[in-house]
This record gives sequence, C-alpha cells and structure tokens, in this order.
Amino acid sequence: MTRRTRWMLGRALAVAALLAFTLFPAYFMVASSLAPARSVTGTEALLPADPTLDNYRYALAEAGFLTYLGNSLLVAVVTVAGSALLALLAAVAVSRFRFRLRTTVLVMVLVVQMVPLEALVIPLFLQASSLGMLNSLLGLSVVYIALSLPFAIWMLRGFTAAVPAEVEEAAYIDGASWPRMFWSVLLPLVAPGLVATGIFSFIMAWNEFLIAFAFMDDADTYTVAVGLRQFFGQNTTDWGAMMAASTIITVPVMLFFLFVQRGLVSGLVQGAVKG
Amino acid sequence: MTATTTPGRPSAAAPPPRPRPLLTRRRRRALLPWALLAPGLAVLGGLLLYPLGRVLWLSVQDYGLDNILSGETDYNGLDNYAELLSDGYLWRVALPNTAVFAVVAVGATVAFGTLVALLLASLRPLARTAVISCIMIAWAMPAVTGTYVWVWIFEVDRGIVRQGLEAAGALGPEGLNWFADRLFFYGIVTLNIVHHGFPFVAVTVLAGLLTVPRELYEAALIDGAGAWQRFRHVTLPVLRPVFAVVTILSTIWDFKVFAQVFLMPGGDGANREVLNLGVWSYLQGIVQRDYGSGAAVAVLLTLLLLAITLVYLRSLFRDEELR
Repeated sequence: MTRRTRWMLGRALAVAALLAFTLFPAYFMVASSLAPARSVTGTEALLPADPTLDNYRYALAEAGFLTYLGNSLLVAVVTVAGSALLALLAAVAVSRFRFRLRTTVLVMVLVVQMVPLEALVIPLFLQASSLGMLNSLLGLSVVYIALSLPFAIWMLRGFTAAVPAEVEEAAYIDGASWPRMFWSVLLPLVAPGLVATGIFSFIMAWNEFLIAFAFMDDADTYTVAVGLRQFFGQNTTDWGAMMAASTIITVPVMLFFLFVQRGLVSGLVQGAVKG
Repeated sequence: MTATTTPGRPSAAAPPPRPRPLLTRRRRRALLPWALLAPGLAVLGGLLLYPLGRVLWLSVQDYGLDNILSGETDYNGLDNYAELLSDGYLWRVALPNTAVFAVVAVGATVAFGTLVALLLASLRPLARTAVISCIMIAWAMPAVTGTYVWVWIFEVDRGIVRQGLEAAGALGPEGLNWFADRLFFYGIVTLNIVHHGFPFVAVTVLAGLLTVPRELYEAALIDGAGAWQRFRHVTLPVLRPVFAVVTILSTIWDFKVFAQVFLMPGGDGANREVLNLGVWSYLQGIVQRDYGSGAAVAVLLTLLLLAITLVYLRSLFRDEELR
C-alpha cells in the first residue's frame, strides 16, 4: 500500500466516523419513533423490524400534540411577524442614517443579546403574572419578539446596508418621498434578508423551553417544547411516543435550518463583528 | 456652475427661496431614525433591560409570594448575596457544575470542531458540501429533542449503551445509574453540547482556513516544516481572531445551558448534586418562590457572563482584521 492510498483510506474512515457520530442521534430518533412496541428497548429500536406509525397517531391524537403544534405555530408566527417588522425599521435606522449615538445603540443591542435568559425568567415571570399574562400565548409571543430582536437587527442590518445609496437617491430624484422609497425600493431589495431573519425567529420561538415552561402551567397552552416533557417519567418513559413527537418537532426546524445555514454563520461571525 | 446670474436668463427659473419648510424637513429627517428605532428600543427596554434592572432590585429584597400579593417589599441589603456566597453548595456544586463544565465543553467543542474543519478542508468541494450539509443536521437539532435523544441513548434499563455494555460483558446485570453520578451526568451533557456545538466551530474555522494564503504553507514546506509545525506556526497565528470568536461565543452559550441539564433525569432538582447556576436560580425563584435569592443566583451568573462578554468585545474591537 502506497503512502497516498493509506492517506486516502484514513481520510475516508475519518469522514465515515464523523458522519456516524453526527447523524446517529437523528437516525436513532426516527428509527425509535417507528418501533411498534410501547416498551421498546434500545437495540430493538435501532433497526425496527416492523415499522409502524402508531406512535405518531398516539402522540398527535391521544397525547394532545396537535394542540401543542397549533400553539407553537401561533406563537412562532406572531413572533416572526413582530420581530421582522421591528427589526426592519431598526435596521434601516442604523444602516441608512448617520446620527448621534448610532454606535452606542448598536453596541447596546449587541450587549443585550448576551443577557442570559436565566436572569430574565424571574422578573419576566413576575411581570407576566402581575399583568395576568401567564398561560397566554400572546404574552409568550411578545417575550419572544424581544428575545429574537437583537439578532434580527444585527442580521438585517447587513442586508439594508448592502443596498447602494445611489438606488435610494435615484428614487428621490424621481420624486419619491422617504416612505415611498422605503416601500418601493428598500423593501423589495431586503426581502431575502427578511425571509432569512424570519426563519431564525421562527426556530428560536419553536425551540425555546425555559420561558415557555415557566409561563405555561395549563396543558392547553403548552408549546411543543414544553409538551414533550409529559412523556418523560422517572421510570416509565414512553420512548416510542417521545421519539415520534420529537421527530415532529425536529423536522420543520431542520428543513428551515438547511435553508438558511449560510446566513447563520455569516450573521453570527460577521454581523457580530462589524462595528 | 457659479452663483452669478446670466443676463437674459429669466429670474423666475431660479428656485424660490423657502427657508422655513426646508428647515422643518431637515429636522424631520433628523428625527426619522429615532422614530424608526423607537418601537424596537421600546420592546428591548421593556422586556430585556427593565427585567434586568428588576432582577438586580429583587436580589436585594426578601421577596416571596406574600410580597406579590401585598405589593410590599422587604429590603434586606446584601443578605441574599451573603447567604449565597457563604453557602458551601455554591462553591462545591453549582459553580463547578457551571464553570468547570463550560471550560471542558468549550475546549472539547473547539478542538473537535477544528479537527473537523481540517478534515473538511482536505476534501474536494463536492464532497465537502455534502459532509457540511450532514453535520448541519446536528446543529439544527433543537436542544429539547436532542437532549431527550441522548437520555434515551443512555437510558439506564433498556437504553442502547446499557445493552451494548452488557453484551460486551463490561456491565453486570445489576446495571449502573450513570445519571445519578455527577461526573457521568456531566459527561453526557458534554457529549450533547459538543455534538450540537461543533458544526458552528467547524464551519467558521473552515471559512477561515480557506482564506489562508497558499504561499504561506509553501514557504513553510520549503523551510522543512511538518504538518503539526505548519498548523502551529502558520494556521494558528493567522486564524487567531477566528478562534477568539468561536471560543468566546461557545463560552457564552455553554455557561447558560438550561434545558440540556434540566431535562435530564434528576436535573430538574431531584438530584441537587447536578444543578448548575441557571437551574439552581430557576428552582429557587420560580419553583420555591423565593424570588430574592433566586435573583441573586441569576445576578451572579450574569456577572460571570458580563466579564466574558467584555473580553469578547475587547478582542473584537482590537483585531483590525475582523472588521
């Protein structure tokens, strides 16, 4: 064996090991969800001999997951709409105007993003409790708008800044007012950025656990992340149903994620870096 | 164009002087960015900054359920902090479970992610894109479902790891409850975090690797440098700012893991040995309804993160090549 074939073989093995490690949890989740018996064991779940959709039927129809999906969808849609609108206005302000305190505002948005949710959950819980907003899907959505806003502003800022000033000036020369220019020129040009930002807000609202768990103690208002916990018992976890519900939660996130992965990396690194 | 008016040109063509409307328009334009920012800043202020101030205020109160009902407050100075800092539990359990875990998890994530990036850089573009798409699946897995999958993999009675170890003869039929053991527990959390976090490091470092000029490696080869020396003396210095960003972002994320601990067996407070600062604060505040001391734990966690964030900002604004 020459040195070169040894190197090629080693590299192929490394790639195979990497893919096995990376994909195993997702594979195991889907495989377990298709296993027939309620009291499935790990090795039986690895290669389901007799795949069935019973676990999905149970999770959706009997365990109330249909309700949780509806709740999560509502919360996510309100979050996406609210945070896209507010982030767009703010991103236009910081990228297309020069004004005093501009850098201060930007740095503040960046720093606020670092505040841990664990520090916010107690005061937000008390605030929501005094406003009667516990167990309210709208109350939860408003909190999520705030949580997704800093990243959305930073990400959209890149898109709004990329529109050349000449395009904007040309609109003014044609007699457009600022609102007209915003609506007819800027908005169509940043629409792809708006889609990408919206997807991130969606994923954030869909996945969030801590605030939803603190706010919701009525099973009718559970989101999917909170509802999943009901399958979990100290000794008697129904793993088939748990993995079926997990698959239902995970699939939309993965589809969206693959769609926007490029933006995420540049958003996290460059967006957070450019002064 | 000069200001002199050409004779014969009708003076009506010159724009009529309108100083007043021009001034208000300019003023309106100066106010426009603030009008655009106002809704966003109001939401950030009301739902992120105000609660942050409130948690500071709560941390110097003896604040329980009766205070919510009566609306009265009991200022108790630094009592919550004195109690917290003199509690052996903080130093023996909660702080190591947060800080030592974060250091280990970040080190493992960055090291593994870098190795993957080096592997990806050696692949052809097509294979590289395919492998990147696959590792994105690990990143896309939600924390909640990902955690439950790892709990299922390590399930004590009929999980696949237990059955595998038993078949290999490494574990007797009596089994072992690894979730009850603090080191095993955090070993599983680390595996979960590394699995979820390495794709970001790999993709970011790969992007950096592809920008390193080829000539540098060629020069190092001519000088007789081996693979490790080329990595140590060419790749590392050039990618230092990239490593700074991924390390600090990972540190910030790993300091505040919540669901990955809380959803594990015993992580919801049943086993006090495995709590970290975030979960402890939640249990004190929301579950025990001792909002004051829960807030003090939360403030401590925030201060730790603030220190790391300052380091982050400094490294960002010092490195010219990142701007």
